[in-house]
Amino acid sequence: MRAPVAVRPGTSLPAREVGPVTQTHVVRFAGAGGDFNPLHHDPEFARSAGFPGVLAMGQMHAGMLAAWLTDWAGVEHLREYEVRFAAPVFLGDTLLFSGEVRSVDNGLAELQLTATRGEDAVLRARAAVVTG
Amino acid sequence: MTAESLDEVAFDVERGKIREFARATGATDPVHTDRGAAQRAGFGDVPATATHVVVAGHHRDQRAFVAELGLAFERVVVGSVKWIYHRPLLAGDALRGVRRVAEDVRKKGMRFVTLETEYLDAEAEPVVVLHETLIERGDQQ
Repeated sequence: MRAPVAVRPGTSLPAREVGPVTQTHVVRFAGAGGDFNPLHHDPEFARSAGFPGVLAMGQMHAGMLAAWLTDWAGVEHLREYEVRFAAPVFLGDTLLFSGEVRSVDNGLAELQLTATRGEDAVLRARAAVVTG
Repeated sequence: MTAESLDEVAFDVERGKIREFARATGATDPVHTDRGAAQRAGFGDVPATATHVVVAGHHRDQRAFVAELGLAFERVVVGSVKWIYHRPLLAGDALRGVRRVAEDVRKKGMRFVTLETEYLDAEAEPVVVLHETLIERGDQQ
């Protein structure tokens, strides 16, 4: 196995910007994940449900945040990942992923992660990864 | 109701689906798409990205189980999701997911139902445990 990342409390993850989110991102994730709820690809349907337009699946940006995390930490070192959905994501949104190590205990780093759109959090997440 | 099995799903982890899902989530680590890179990194085959089991969610009839729980589908949102990993999922894994209700509470006029799905491999060893908390918004608020 690859060596785990060496971190200390306060270590920041290298930020990643994603977007602007396009219908292609959403459709590609629908194909990969199997979520064909029309809220995510049919603008008329989304408007009839009270949204300004189609919204991305929460699992899409949750998956993007997780991919960003494990690109850095190595997927074999991930022990826990928990995500809370704070706000919907719409086409045209640009997301910024950022994170910080909160604590290190017994070789396990506890991370706090956020996906923001401008000033707003769209995801709040935490993760535990093995550290070296 | 707690600890009662709600449903089961059979889930084969496939190399092509891993590639597709990795691309859809912007993963750049080549271990997910290149078997040689995966083997050099110490994996027996390509590992799936961290949230890959979401693929199995759509093998299920979500409306039917939401109705079985007595939840109003149109008022249900997913509040949070948690994955607990014993090891990465690898291409070739044949998993069985068993879903149970882990918690069912009412707070502030809303109902919070946490479903737990444990995915076991062919040797019946746990690979990943998924917790999904569904929130049913009150109809009186």
